[in-house]
Amino acid sequence: MSRFDVDLDRAVRKACSYEETAPKRKHVRTCIVFTWDHKSSRAFFNAMKTQPLGEDEVSVFKALITIHKVLQEGHPSAIVEGIKNREWIESLGRIYSIGGGDGYGRIIEEYVQFLLRKLVFHRSHKGFNGTFEYEEYVSLVTTSNPDEGYETILDLMDLQDALDEFSRVLFASISSGRKNECKISALVPLVAESYGIYKFITSMIRAMHKQTGEDGAMEPLHERYVSQHARLFEFYADCSAIKYLTSLIRIPKLPTEAPSLVDSPSP
Amino acid sequence: MSKSLMRRAKNVVNGYSTTQVLLREATSNDPDGPSLDLMDEIAERSWDSVSFFEIMDMLDKRLNDKGKNWRHVAKSLTVLDYLVRCGSEHCVPWAKENLYIIKTLREFTHEDETGVDQGQIVRVKARELTALLQDEERLREERELKGRNRRPRRR
Repeated sequence: MSRFDVDLDRAVRKACSYEETAPKRKHVRTCIVFTWDHKSSRAFFNAMKTQPLGEDEVSVFKALITIHKVLQEGHPSAIVEGIKNREWIESLGRIYSIGGGDGYGRIIEEYVQFLLRKLVFHRSHKGFNGTFEYEEYVSLVTTSNPDEGYETILDLMDLQDALDEFSRVLFASISSGRKNECKISALVPLVAESYGIYKFITSMIRAMHKQTGEDGAMEPLHERYVSQHARLFEFYADCSAIKYLTSLIRIPKLPTEAPSLVDSPSP
Repeated sequence: MSKSLMRRAKNVVNGYSTTQVLLREATSNDPDGPSLDLMDEIAERSWDSVSFFEIMDMLDKRLNDKGKNWRHVAKSLTVLDYLVRCGSEHCVPWAKENLYIIKTLREFTHEDETGVDQGQIVRVKARELTALLQDEERLREERELKGRNRRPRRR
């Protein structure tokens, strides 16, 4: 092991400690910066796999948050490596599936499901980065092929539904417990991701409208868009009520009504 | 002040160049922000390729500093922001190349002994700088504006 690997190993260990707190940002950041410095994420996943995660459910949950963060903000290789390690991630969901004492069993299972969904999405749609940042949109050729674009929007919406479902389970578990910072910190990547997906869907539907000029075929997408908008609006409202969250990240403010998706009348 | 004395001693012991000493001064742990003159001097030096690498090397170190030294991080962001606007043309590509270092600071946290979260200022600065670097148009305008208002450069 080189000196860097030792540093990474320590960061991973500390990020996934058994204390019921948020994974310390500085350790998570070390992991993220490592993947960029080395343009590879293999070492990160290898370090994760050697952690004694089977001993404590809090550390499994923190490991999942850390993995999610690295997938989002790490070098693109993190997603590739994540796809390769799908089965290992899946196995994390089975350790506590019977449900542990502090109610982490259920949210671990749901988190694993969500991460797998995310990885499946990235496998079939290259070109998206981990947080679905809007800037990348222009580089996508999706709208030039309406069928493919339609497919992509549907898949994005499926992912958004999965995210929504997971966040509900998470919220339900938060209101009952007391030491909540650990659970709340899982909302941080979810807020970023849901907003990225939301912006993508919005602009993609708009672009498709311009491209095809067909309203009839887009109708089912519209309905689903409106309902997702409403749920996302509520999700952000719930998040805004948590002080720990609002001081850490900026929670996006959506308009009360879903915006119109037809920019201009088609020529 | 013994602290600034210590810093001066460290500068000699570690054999830092004059440029690096300037940068260490600008991103020190003193409560005051770096002075405009100091930042101007650093921006001026970024046109020299040797100094440029010395500056960026030191900035890189300071940006990745421990939470306890949150002032190093905050001030490095201030200096980098200034360099991106007023420094040599190498500064922008450098910052873009290393955007992940800045981006990952958007969730920086540090609680001091009294339990106050000192990370807020770092988070805000990192967020602003990231937004600036991702906005090609605005960045160009800012640089043009600053370039016009400044005295002619050495080279």
